Amino acid sequence: MSKVIVITSGKGGVGKTTTSAAFATGLASKGYKTVVIDFDVGLRNLDLIMGVERRVVYDFVNVINGEAGLRQSLIKDKRVDNLYVLPASQTRDKDALSMKGVESVINELKQDGFDYIVCDSPAGIEKGAFMALYFADEAIVVTNPEVSSVRDSDRILGILQSKSRKAEEGGSIKEHLLITRYSPKRVEDGEMLSVEDILDILAIPLLGVIPESESVLQASNQGNPVILETKSTAGQAYEDIVDRFLGETVEHRFLDVEKQGFLKRLFGK
Amino acid sequence: MSHPSTDSVSPIDLKGEMNMQNILHIHSTEVRDILHALAAKRDEAPPFFLRSPITVDCKAVESELEALDFTALIEGIKALSFVPVGIRNVSDDVVESVTKAGWAILRDSKAKKAVKPTSTESTDNTGVQASSGDNTDNDSAESEPMNESLGNRVMVINRPVRSGQQVYSPNGDIVVLSQTGAGSEVLADGSVHVYGNIAGRVLAGVNGDRSARIFCQGLEAELIAIAGHYQLLDEIDTPLKGQPAMISLDGDKLVIEPMI
Ligand SMILES: Nc1ncnc2c1ncn2[C@@H]1O[C@H](COP(=O)(O)OP(=O)(O)OP(=O)(O)O)[C@@H](O)[C@H]1O
Ligand SMILES: [Mg+2]
Repeated sequence: MSKVIVITSGKGGVGKTTTSAAFATGLASKGYKTVVIDFDVGLRNLDLIMGVERRVVYDFVNVINGEAGLRQSLIKDKRVDNLYVLPASQTRDKDALSMKGVESVINELKQDGFDYIVCDSPAGIEKGAFMALYFADEAIVVTNPEVSSVRDSDRILGILQSKSRKAEEGGSIKEHLLITRYSPKRVEDGEMLSVEDILDILAIPLLGVIPESESVLQASNQGNPVILETKSTAGQAYEDIVDRFLGETVEHRFLDVEKQGFLKRLFGK
Repeated sequence: MSHPSTDSVSPIDLKGEMNMQNILHIHSTEVRDILHALAAKRDEAPPFFLRSPITVDCKAVESELEALDFTALIEGIKALSFVPVGIRNVSDDVVESVTKAGWAILRDSKAKKAVKPTSTESTDNTGVQASSGDNTDNDSAESEPMNESLGNRVMVINRPVRSGQQVYSPNGDIVVLSQTGAGSEVLADGSVHVYGNIAGRVLAGVNGDRSARIFCQGLEAELIAIAGHYQLLDEIDTPLKGQPAMISLDGDKLVIEPMI
């Protein structure tokens, strides 16, 4: 049975694309046939972060318009088996997506035996974001530890609960919270919301916390999903969330200020 | 066709308290004029009107409703950031176009001896008239408590009310089993019970029931209101912020007390 998972947030720039790339790569590494779709038509970001931008021939909009077949348009990853990317078009705008078109692409992917269909949503609560979430079975809501981001996530949760196909059929999308760019030091200094604060406000199950890490930017500049950077804390945290998503119990890491840093602050000056 | 007068008479009469359940009495079928007058009304009132529910009463123009563009009316009202709740006193011949436009038609369900409002719409041929009131002709926000007329239907919401969402329990109480988010809105004709924090706007007794109350496990609301008497929480100093609290109306003051 294939599952459609939307990576969404409301607010822009919180780490959706980073997460989509890492998460899809992680699922594929575990042996699941996985495709990650870029719904951010007009901006085209995912293919850069996945390092496949020079291999794009056809895109999502071409498939929807019947200008290219799905198989021609899927880009097979060279590092990880079972991993495919369906890139967005840079030259169209988001009106190029139609509900019917998206539905038929998703259905075809299901028929092709994909286990996981990961949808990288654009920011906002308009058409593009709506298309990305409409067919989802599960949602990973990406939040940064700041008030405006949490507020937008609350908004998106409301939309997931009322405007998705699952909701229209009387069911509900399974929700997961992913906090990214978490900086324990800034939380301790009161500059950022803590995990507890965010859970209080959003009240959905916590899938994981990704620490703020320089390796994220480095990895995306190299077109390497950060989960493949096994030495980076962010990469490790993404590995954890994939395991947790697949049902394993994994303790949360990177929530506290590192001991060393803490002692340094106590005695350093 | 009645057109709005161009003279000195105010196109709008806002009666009673600034009740959340606004009744928009239209005296014209020119949507442009109606919206124009409504926009002016909104702009003179505080941001309080933002996303507040509005009911349109067509009584005054009931016989000439074919001339009214109901789609333009609902869209225009939305565009002004009101929430069109429903429409009433529409003649049978326009019902189809009314519903097609997306309106809910409100019947005067409580067709009981409608107490005539103290100051009946004596205003004249103006475009619109907004009065705070209820869903019946029982039009005064300051009228007697209307417990007995509440059907006492309880609406239960078993998940958080999220930012941007609005839930409204007509004719009764509302019970929210978890919290309400900042930027959300919970309204009830009766009382509001929230078994979590309230962080959004919470309005009880929106039809004028002064005995309605608000109960919550954590008081962090942006705005609380009972029977149209409202208070921004930032404006008041209460030790109960973030605490379990009960809010009731005493005279025209909201009283915030700890839950016993
Ligand atoms: N854990 C992290 N640590 C440090 N930087 C991060 C982290 N996660 C994401 N970033 C950075 O934040 C920026 C935005 O990330 P990304 O493009 O994934 O966000 P997005 O939500 O997809 O944005 P958009 O809404 O524009 O699509 C990028 O520069 C990325 O490198
Ligand atoms: Mg993105």
